[in-house]
Amino acid sequence: MKPRWKGKGSEAKASSDPMSKIVSQLHSSLIQTETCGLLSSCSVLVEVDAELADLLNRACFGRPRITSEKDKQWFQLDMEETFYLCFSLKCLKVMGEDGSTKSNEELWEYFKSKKPVFPIHYKAYSHLRHKNWIVKLGLQYGVDFVAYRHHPALVHSEYAVLALPEGDNDLNGRLRVWSDVHCTVRLCGSVAKTLLIVIVNSNGLGANSPSCLEHYTVEERTITRWNPEQSREDQGGLQNQIKEGII
Amino acid sequence: MRSILKTETKTMMKRIATYPGLYPDYNLDISNARWIDDLAMAEVVEKKGKMWVTTGTIRNVNTYCSIEETVFLVEIGALHVLDRNGMYLSLKELYEKLSDGKSGCNWEVFEVYRNLKSLGYVVGRHGIPWSVKGQKIKSGTCSLESSQESNELLEMEQENKNSIIELFNNMRITEVTPAFHVYLPNSKFRKSSPGDPNFILCMSR
Repeated sequence: MKPRWKGKGSEAKASSDPMSKIVSQLHSSLIQTETCGLLSSCSVLVEVDAELADLLNRACFGRPRITSEKDKQWFQLDMEETFYLCFSLKCLKVMGEDGSTKSNEELWEYFKSKKPVFPIHYKAYSHLRHKNWIVKLGLQYGVDFVAYRHHPALVHSEYAVLALPEGDNDLNGRLRVWSDVHCTVRLCGSVAKTLLIVIVNSNGLGANSPSCLEHYTVEERTITRWNPEQSREDQGGLQNQIKEGII
Repeated sequence: MRSILKTETKTMMKRIATYPGLYPDYNLDISNARWIDDLAMAEVVEKKGKMWVTTGTIRNVNTYCSIEETVFLVEIGALHVLDRNGMYLSLKELYEKLSDGKSGCNWEVFEVYRNLKSLGYVVGRHGIPWSVKGQKIKSGTCSLESSQESNELLEMEQENKNSIIELFNNMRITEVTPAFHVYLPNSKFRKSSPGDPNFILCMSR
């Protein structure tokens, strides 16, 4: 499926403003301002000035909160977004409400306690983010994440992502039965997205510390429906489909 | 077509009127409250605006706001809250109070509350009566966090809660707890006789 850009000029705009550059600017700005977030249940709240708010919006980290405060803006970050900024990019610190700074190990344990499947989700999230995809939670589509080629204002998301552990690990019980595969593919089709499975192999390392992540391996697979009635004439199309490993 | 639009605009403007501060041009009155640590609630000192019809619980003659009501009103600029030393509590300090677990609410539950309140629904904690005359406010009342097993409830609410939990248990849904009573938007809402809620909102782990 080709990327669906929103309106004329969006594709050109995206090309001239690469996400890698925006994220790099965000990284510098966060370090410079020594920004610190407040940990609150499964979210992290950050108070930022206008420049940082703009970068967070453009790099698609967090959601802005609408408040009546005039000079500062509050953003709320998900667990994966927070950990990416703290652990992978090393540009954000997080504090508990008691004022103590949380180390990456403490955050790791805390997030795992909130979501046991966090290591797998996080590996998939960071894997895609490193490749400059914008990754957001995919709850409304019944999947783990949705991936955008660039900012959601410019393009529709192309992939609905499920992060699955390698092997019989029952942490994430998705796609274990044919009916789930069928439903999920069908749903993805209705919202014009391709189902992308990110298979995370922990290589027997477990998940005791975030340093284990380095040795996890990732494999990507897309699943789409092959329609025999529509594929008879198109020899070129069939070749492409075989390459992508379609069911 | 024009007449339908007119009615819709009127309804919308009425709803906006209940939240002074969110649309600053409309109403500049800001209410005042005092945060009480022991109760983990704000005691309203000065009420301004129509939002008090559907916000805050009454005990005897005083109105109290739960943490979620307080944070919501401060976020939209409709309330100023003072601490015990008479200093204004910033939004940051209020978010910290929301996160410390002592006020019986957490971030996700607050987001649910905020979302529905912004849409105009009347939202109150499950198990907490809107208005009780002749009785002082109890501390440590009903927690919204699903991990809390024992909640203090007044007798009349106890039966209600048990039957809902029972219904869920019969369906083998055991990780759901009732959190809020939700009423459709109603400018004539009466705390002394709210009637049955239109929805009971439950949170699941």
